[in-house]
Amino acid sequence: MKNYEVIEHTADIGIRVKTGELNLLFKEAALAMFDIIAEAQTPKSTTQRQINLKQEAGNLEELLVFWLNELLSLSATKELIFFDFKINRLENNLLEATAFGRDVKDYRVNVEIKAATYHGLKVWQDGSIWKAEVIFDV
Amino acid sequence: MFNPLEKIDEYHWRIPRSYKPGMKVEGLIYADEKLLKDIYRDKALEQVANVAFLPGIVNYSLAMPDIHWGYGMPIGGVAATDIDKGGVVGAGLVGYDINCGVRLLKTNFQYDDIKDKIRDLVYALFSDVPSGVGSKGDIRVSAKEEKELLLKGASWAVEKGFGCQDDLECTEENGAIAGADPDAVSDRAYERGKAQSGTLGSGNHFLEIQVIDQLYDRDICDRLELDLGQVMVMIHSGSRGFGYQICEDYSRGMIACLQKYHINVPDRQLACAPVNSDEGKQYLGAMRCAANYAWVNRQCLMHLSRKSFERIFSMSWQKMGMALIYDVAHNIAKIEKYTIDGKEKLLCVHRKGATRAFGPGNPALPERYRDIGQPVIIPGDMGRNSYLLVGTKKAEEDTFGSTCHGAGRVKSRTASMKSTNLNTLLKELESKGIIVKASGRDTIVEEAPQAYKDVNDVVNVVHNAGISKRVCRMRPVGVIKG
Repeated sequence: MKNYEVIEHTADIGIRVKTGELNLLFKEAALAMFDIIAEAQTPKSTTQRQINLKQEAGNLEELLVFWLNELLSLSATKELIFFDFKINRLENNLLEATAFGRDVKDYRVNVEIKAATYHGLKVWQDGSIWKAEVIFDV
Repeated sequence: MFNPLEKIDEYHWRIPRSYKPGMKVEGLIYADEKLLKDIYRDKALEQVANVAFLPGIVNYSLAMPDIHWGYGMPIGGVAATDIDKGGVVGAGLVGYDINCGVRLLKTNFQYDDIKDKIRDLVYALFSDVPSGVGSKGDIRVSAKEEKELLLKGASWAVEKGFGCQDDLECTEENGAIAGADPDAVSDRAYERGKAQSGTLGSGNHFLEIQVIDQLYDRDICDRLELDLGQVMVMIHSGSRGFGYQICEDYSRGMIACLQKYHINVPDRQLACAPVNSDEGKQYLGAMRCAANYAWVNRQCLMHLSRKSFERIFSMSWQKMGMALIYDVAHNIAKIEKYTIDGKEKLLCVHRKGATRAFGPGNPALPERYRDIGQPVIIPGDMGRNSYLLVGTKKAEEDTFGSTCHGAGRVKSRTASMKSTNLNTLLKELESKGIIVKASGRDTIVEEAPQAYKDVNDVVNVVHNAGISKRVCRMRPVGVIKG
């Protein structure tokens, strides 16, 4: 069962994620993004790697895009696909997190996401549920 | 359904300023009734209206007939801003794949003479030209040399032996736009672009073997030595991860500029800065590095393609007549001069999914094309056609020397995946004599012809509206996708 919905877009791909906690929203959006990019192959041939990240933005929405784009950039330069995330701190539009990844060789890569965009970007609270929408340039 | 359009004539449609308070100019869409049906389906027209908010925008927020919903600026959009009047430049207005573009080269072969070799050629090209997500090339450069590459563009590749001087003359900006500033590029962008020179990439990027199936302007075809049945090669790629990182780096900074320079735009992806501001100058310096990187990339891709042909036919590429017709950028911002209300103005012209289409006599054109106008290359989908056009004076007068850039998507990738069966599609293409080889199975389905408008309809509009002129049409016979 996927943790996100796909938003139809003519040229690109959008996602909508929902969670009970804001921390988890950042994690779920990142999981959704890498689910679109690649699927794991078995057995795994490489060992897990982890990277600590820190991002700061003017507001929550931009923080989400900064976070996703930093992950894309690290994924490209380190040749890793990230499969799990731990949000260590999220306050005052500052995010500290750990991303866990494996070598891209352990995955079948389906799509190249160039970037998470600011177009149609939304993070909001609906009752007790946190929701976010992001459109990726593919 | 969103329909703010007023019909001007058969090929021109207006979005009045009254549609959205804050629009500084009208929207002007090049399309016919048939294409409009597709255009109405998504949010592209809303985006044309949003672009009209840009400070310093001149005349119109323009949209070409292949327009579709992008992020921020529509794909197929053209916006020119007056630099002396606070005109802006925007990272999101150029997009992540800076200088995504197309080049077309010819061969001396007639399709009937080599049709039995097409499969071998497709497999050779697929194995010799790195493609697919995150693909890496064999071209490695040191940090010092990387800066030289960013300044010299395609001539760097020619100096390395990947092509000849004539290739440079037949490339927009001679393959190297002036004003590149390697110091404006982040370390991360350098790291991300490393090892990606000479790689095709994925998604809608491709390398195709094509055959001329229709001549429209015999005189120009004769001049370019093009004839029916002739085999051509088309390459579509951009600046890869290097460009994506530059766009992201500067998009972040430009969001802060909105407040700093009191800029009001309805979408953060339209974030921008005055061309004359530090932020604007730095972005242009970095963007030009990515543009030059992309020209190196397409030059290297062409070199690898020529080598594949040499391997299959045991003949030099020169003997096979594999000369470059032209190379055009279709995601870029350029500083160009235009006469506006009788005065010469320096404008920053953003072409986002639009192609420069300068007419005869333009001093930016190489001598060999100055009498016929700039060659314009329009790729279509993998099952139908692509075009060679030339630019016109009318384009310089009406659209800041711009025309369409392709067929334009009409179906989302997910919709295309749902409605297209891979095996059926491959059989259908094979029955038309088209051999396809791709790194990812999903790519073929996502890029199925049904996902695109018919490029014939798109070209019909730009030709009839006079902003470019048909020269000849090609059909694909071999397709390499990432």
